[in-house]
Amino acid sequence: MKKKFQNSKTETVVYFICSLVGLLIVWQLAVSFTSLQKVMPSPFVVLGFIGQSLTQKIGGKILPLHILASLKRVFVGYFLACIIGIPLGILMGCSKTGKAIVKPIFELLRPIPGLAWIPLAILWFGIGETSKYFIICVSAIVSIILNAYAGASQVDQTLVGAARMLGAKPAQIFLYITLPASVPQIFAGLQVGLSSSWMAVIAAEMIRANEGAGWIITTGMESGNTVQILAGMISIGLVGLLLASLLRLIERGLCSWNIQGR
Amino acid sequence: MSKVEVNHLTKSFGSLKVLDDISFQVNDGDFLCIVGPTGCGKTTFLNSLVKLYDIDDGEILINGEEVDLNKHSIAYIMQEYSTMSWLTVKENIQFGMKVRKFSKEKLNRKTEEVLKMVGLEKFADYYPEQLSASMLQRVSIARAFAVEPDLLLMDEPYGQLDLELRFRLEDELIRIWQETKTTIVFITHNIEEAVYMSQRIMVLTNKPTKVKEDFVNPLPLPRNVTEEKFIEMRNKVTNLIKWW
Ligand SMILES: Nc1ncnc2c1ncn2[C@@H]1O[C@H](COP(=O)(O)OP(=O)(O)OP(=O)(O)O)[C@@H](O)[C@H]1O
Ligand SMILES: [Mg+2]
Repeated sequence: MKKKFQNSKTETVVYFICSLVGLLIVWQLAVSFTSLQKVMPSPFVVLGFIGQSLTQKIGGKILPLHILASLKRVFVGYFLACIIGIPLGILMGCSKTGKAIVKPIFELLRPIPGLAWIPLAILWFGIGETSKYFIICVSAIVSIILNAYAGASQVDQTLVGAARMLGAKPAQIFLYITLPASVPQIFAGLQVGLSSSWMAVIAAEMIRANEGAGWIITTGMESGNTVQILAGMISIGLVGLLLASLLRLIERGLCSWNIQGR
Repeated sequence: MSKVEVNHLTKSFGSLKVLDDISFQVNDGDFLCIVGPTGCGKTTFLNSLVKLYDIDDGEILINGEEVDLNKHSIAYIMQEYSTMSWLTVKENIQFGMKVRKFSKEKLNRKTEEVLKMVGLEKFADYYPEQLSASMLQRVSIARAFAVEPDLLLMDEPYGQLDLELRFRLEDELIRIWQETKTTIVFITHNIEEAVYMSQRIMVLTNKPTKVKEDFVNPLPLPRNVTEEKFIEMRNKVTNLIKWW
């Protein structure tokens, strides 16, 4: 699992572009030559719509501002999930009592999808922004906590022993061994959490909002505008991809030692 | 005065009795080589000494007191890999010196010195993932030597190395011992190595493990593996081991 065959950077980019172009061609062919054309617009119509809405408003806003509105919600909810989840998870991983108390709760919460919290969120916080932050936060937090927990609790005890032998005190062992050793696992949780919160914002906006990427899709549906729906979906995909890559970039910077970090 | 005192040490893993009422002493300044069959509990002994394992019965004392890793200056080169994968070779080597608060000047000087000793100068900025097994082992060796311990524990440290490097590091260890009078406990499967370096040899039995022989190696340093006396000594130890 460690040392995989590694493509060069340019190769990766070339393959990426090839697969995108391939997708567009298949889509276009399907629309041109099959009955799919009755329900699907051509990809170029959709891309054209996206290009056009960079300057022309959909509803009250141009597309980038809609996406920005969604991003802001994700940022708040996800940020909350991080600052609560990472310390809590590490704490659980380090302390047996902490784990004994908190772990069962999260094992119970884990199978509940973030979206199942929507009804409660609406009852508790109304249909405004707060309930959206809440939904995003709970969607992201469970995997963040459980991964930070796993990272901190699976630290190689040989290393802890080696550090202690070299004279490290408990605080130093935590700072110099436990924390860095759990970083890759923490980031795995952050990745999953990020995509969960990006999914959650769309769902939250589809229920009630007047801006955002989810809103674009819902209004598209209400007005039977397939092009707008697809444009919304594609933007969501692109932004999600961008966010994940951004996080991976941060991870690379933080753990350059972990060359398996793809 | 005895540096390490082991009294009635007993240790089991579940129903497997590994160490059975073992007692011996390591004197201050000893260079003790321990040889014994595989699985007899050599690593278990060292791990118990540094409190990685709890012992069932008996006691282990250093300078006549309970082992305290912050007080007693011990370095332990483990049989398993124990390099920190998020630190470079250099940072790994400096870890112990940093937590022991060596001065900057000494830290840099020592780093250079041990890097050179294990032949890793060119790899100072590499991460463990980028190193071979023998190089990893050398990082652990360098890290342990760097902290200038009073008690140096080594668990088959040279097993992975090629012969040339092995000979060099054997001589290096003898030099360090002669210069610093560090107490050394060195575990090995290699009888020639034990006879070549040690000033005292301890032979262990099979499980449940007891001390079978414990004797001083009288050959003067530096030793020559082709000398008659050396070969005699080597055969003596080999014979002891044959009758496990
Ligand atoms: N953590 C552990 N849990 C259970 N059994 C163990 C553990 N560590 C060691 N043992 C057992 O104790 C015995 C002694 O193991 P130890 O590693 O001390 O042997 P050793 O003398 O160092 O062997 P080698 O020469 O192969 O390194 C073995 O039978 C081993 O299976
Ligand atoms: Mg061993």
